[in-house]
Amino acid sequence: MSQLKINGLTKKYYNKTALSDVTLNFEQGKIYGLLGPNGSGKTTLMKVVAGLHKQTSGNVLINDEELSYKTKAYISYMPTENYMYASFKVVDILKFFKDMYEDFRYDYAVALLNDINVNIDYKVSNLSSGQIGKLKTAIALSRDAEIYMLDEPLNGVDVLSRDTIMDIITKSYSENKIIIISTHLVSEIEKILDTVIFLKDGVVELFGDAEELRQTRGLSVEGLYKEVFKNA
Amino acid sequence: MEFNNNIPIYLQVIERIKQDIVSGKLKPGEKMPSSREYSNELGINFNTVARVYKELEMEEIVFTKRGLGTFITESDKQIEELRYTMAKNRITSFIEGMKQLGYTKKDMIKFIETENNYTEGNE
Amino acid sequence: MLNLIKYEFIRKYKLIAVTIITAIALNIFLITRGVGGSATFLVLFPIVLFVLYLTDIIKMYSDDLNNKTGYMLFMTPNSGYKIISSKLLTAVLEGFALLFLYFIFTLINGAYIVVSTGAQIDYSQIIRVVDNLLSGSLGFSLSHIFISLTATLAFFLAFITTVYTAMTIRKSIFSEIKFGGLLSFIIFLCINWGISVISSRLFDIITPYYDSITNAILSAGRATPEELALILLPMTAFSIIQAIALTGISGYLLEKKINL
Repeated sequence: MSQLKINGLTKKYYNKTALSDVTLNFEQGKIYGLLGPNGSGKTTLMKVVAGLHKQTSGNVLINDEELSYKTKAYISYMPTENYMYASFKVVDILKFFKDMYEDFRYDYAVALLNDINVNIDYKVSNLSSGQIGKLKTAIALSRDAEIYMLDEPLNGVDVLSRDTIMDIITKSYSENKIIIISTHLVSEIEKILDTVIFLKDGVVELFGDAEELRQTRGLSVEGLYKEVFKNA
Repeated sequence: MEFNNNIPIYLQVIERIKQDIVSGKLKPGEKMPSSREYSNELGINFNTVARVYKELEMEEIVFTKRGLGTFITESDKQIEELRYTMAKNRITSFIEGMKQLGYTKKDMIKFIETENNYTEGNE
Repeated sequence: MLNLIKYEFIRKYKLIAVTIITAIALNIFLITRGVGGSATFLVLFPIVLFVLYLTDIIKMYSDDLNNKTGYMLFMTPNSGYKIISSKLLTAVLEGFALLFLYFIFTLINGAYIVVSTGAQIDYSQIIRVVDNLLSGSLGFSLSHIFISLTATLAFFLAFITTVYTAMTIRKSIFSEIKFGGLLSFIIFLCINWGISVISSRLFDIITPYYDSITNAILSAGRATPEELALILLPMTAFSIIQAIALTGISGYLLEKKINL
């Protein structure tokens, strides 16, 4: 049973408020799209849940547990940056994950990377940005975690790699997992989403079922996105 | 399959399946892919496919055998009805559209005959 | 914890290998210039090695706090206490490894100097030196060396935990403020100032304790291992307590306040 509850989450930085009283409820078996332009607070929200940033106020509950180093075991977070050790070979990165996370499926990762043409004998520093994108997503999804958080998985990635990334995300769906994808590339990703969340200047602007929105508004999620963020 | 993101995706998939049944591309009693397979194949959300099957089941166009999967209805009557409904929907919207253009019933029939002869002649 | 330390070394083994190879190459080059070159190496090597070592152990922590690659470590389900402790243990182990390396180079160059000055290596002489060392008739013994090393280790731990804590404070409490490096250094100075205030008060109190021991040492003209231990004990204990307290603070901040 995977569950993620965010209650009144606020994150203030020295000169600005990145998240303002965000309350969200995530249920298992759904893919969530966290949508908003750059600087809307998507990354901050994910980093707080991943335990890399500390909130100013409010709380986050994962399966009714407060955030701590222990909850990191339930969350597979993919940062948007290339965070992997440049001097490591891909296979060494996989070994690192295997050693650090009990739920890391090493053989699955090797097979998956083979499928998507990422050579595990290459050094991270020798990979193209498309390959880095595929590798990051594949590694995050190779953990048998309860919650997946992918921060801008399509950013800086070529069109063909985008398709591959979308494919492996769709295939990772499971009835008892939560998948959260942040992006500002809405049209590419909207057909795999259950629920969309619009984040504008750190505030939840809209939370709703993607199909419901298409039906009631007669617009694509992207169309709606453009409407909401027109002046952003 | 290309989707129009402005229309609920489950409706588009339903429409497509119905069309394939009526055209005979999907045979009566044929097994459909599982929700997971189908969502991977179409590159869409799993729950969307699950919803498609649920709606089609309510319309008795598909049926589920527990543990075996989802199958196209074996009832010729169902399929015939489906064919009729789909044809009727199209003709209704056709007639409406033509009326808006100022066509009378007679004009329409004449138009259909000449146009149909023309396309058949081309084949 | 073992896993964390393992990867710290995997990440730096190339750097260490390059250092050793460079040292060997440099040593060979200097030796070709004769005994003087070898002596120069013996003087310069420990200084350079120590500077490199300090830089490395500071970078090992600051890189993880300030670069995106730090996510690799901080995403893992390890507590802040575990992470900071593994960094410290890595630093200590690396220190011992480099000390050992220095020892080997000293031995080789020492032997070379002795041989090239024409002297025969007299094994009985070596045995006598070792024997003297063990019996303590040189004025100091292995016990003295061991006690001094233990105290040095404690002082060093206190120093490096202070450096690490300064960096942790800047990435947690002051994570918004720019000029991180400079700020870390200022925090480092502040912590040191605070600790020196506390320690000077404390050591004022125990002056009579020192007086009694120093008097005994002065009258005897040499310190027994026990006396050396006693004289170093307060500082050593203080350093160990300081190291533990600062590790605790760092661990807590990593756990509760960090903004990476």
